[in-house]
Amino acid sequence: MIMNKKSVEIMAPAGSFESLTAAIQGGADSVYFGIEQLNMRARAANNFVFDDLEKIAELGEKHNVRTYLTLNTIIYDHDLSLMKRIVDKAKNTGITAIIASDQAVINYANSIGLEVHISTQTNVTNLETIKFFSHFADVMVLARELSLKQVKDITDGIKKDDVRGPSGELIEIEIFAHGALCMAVSGKCYLSLHTNNSSANRGACVQNCRRTYEVKDEDGNELLIDNEYIMSPKDLCTIGFIDDIIKSGVKVLKIEGRGRAPEYVKTVTQCYREAADAYLEGTYTKEKIAEWDKKLASVYNRGFWDGYYLGQEMGEWSDVHGSKATTRKKYLGKGVHYYPKAGIAEFKLETHSLKVGDKILVTGPTTGVVESEIKELMVDEVMYTEIKKGVTFTTPLNTIIRNSDKLYVVEEVDGPTQ
Amino acid sequence: MIRITHQREKCIGCNYCVELAYERWRMSKKDGKVTLIEGKNKKGFYTALAGDDEYESNINAAKACPVKIIRVEQVK
Repeated sequence: MIMNKKSVEIMAPAGSFESLTAAIQGGADSVYFGIEQLNMRARAANNFVFDDLEKIAELGEKHNVRTYLTLNTIIYDHDLSLMKRIVDKAKNTGITAIIASDQAVINYANSIGLEVHISTQTNVTNLETIKFFSHFADVMVLARELSLKQVKDITDGIKKDDVRGPSGELIEIEIFAHGALCMAVSGKCYLSLHTNNSSANRGACVQNCRRTYEVKDEDGNELLIDNEYIMSPKDLCTIGFIDDIIKSGVKVLKIEGRGRAPEYVKTVTQCYREAADAYLEGTYTKEKIAEWDKKLASVYNRGFWDGYYLGQEMGEWSDVHGSKATTRKKYLGKGVHYYPKAGIAEFKLETHSLKVGDKILVTGPTTGVVESEIKELMVDEVMYTEIKKGVTFTTPLNTIIRNSDKLYVVEEVDGPTQ
Repeated sequence: MIRITHQREKCIGCNYCVELAYERWRMSKKDGKVTLIEGKNKKGFYTALAGDDEYESNINAAKACPVKIIRVEQVK
């Protein structure tokens, strides 16, 4: 069955304007992001702030990308006023929807006519729960622990029982397609709270699960274990069975990673965009999957597995602290100027060296992510094959870059990166 | 005498400090972050001086703070 192209939505994470632009460049249909402290990345240094909402909504409208604001922590009484202020502002600025888990947020956003999406923090795992939330929300993400069979039963049930949201449309189901997985059931983890007073459910997870552990019994005997990362799941990757996922009736594929770098967002979004389109056009092949797998492995990852969708009985655990990415970026300097007529970019090399043939990466809030290879290097109208730190140089580049964009060189790596 | 310092911007509004040292901390309903009572703002760092009797409760608040933005020092 060939479906309408628009029947699958690729939803990308945006932790910064760089990543937001990267998501748009990668072909995302929608982006999700958090502001201030009432979202699951409250600890992150690069959250958007209240006054960024206008610009985010504007960018979304300009590029025809839907914008979803995550407001999905648990909420205390003292948060209610801020929560309402954020929801009001989201509605007034034209943000498409709020992703919520606390009933206070769900109810308030619904009461002022702002579209609501149900967050993974609510762990939706059955049709009756969908019916319950359908009084408030049009889109719901399912818990990451369901199998595709269970997912399909739910989407079939929605059609059979004609479960519609406030918009009058059938409820749309969203699932996590790619990125980090929790060792807990979806977001509900209390490890960080118990060890560091730092609640994951207030967006302040310290990631206890990503460390190594020794296992001892009560007599102090250490148990021999193959992998000391006993609680760190590998990352979810579904690109190899995206056909089955789309067939299960899922409408929205969500990419995890608001803490990830812009090139990660662009690469992953692009791969899933291409894969979904390939399936819908009937050109989804093993060769393409191999190519996407390679690209996905080049950016941050803890090794990949299928998650629980294919009915695996046991989790698969990572064996690294950081990433297994096959490439690494190294900071070199900043953008200075772009000469659009000549197609020449000027940079200042602040550190390390750069040579012809090197792969570069440029990121910036408006630029997003630009990847290229150095073909020529010129300093004061003299050609060089290699330049050292401290010089300002020009190089041909077919995409506009801006002053103070960041310049990186991309290197291949063998071992794990941090 | 003790000096309490608070980097307010990074507060995530967990309420621990209010529970442990309610005489010194109040949750702001305006932005859901905690306010250091009698704190003076200098470039985002709020500072207040208090008596030694508040030392223990505020040390407990500093230890409990998940984002480690409270500092308590003894001053002469």
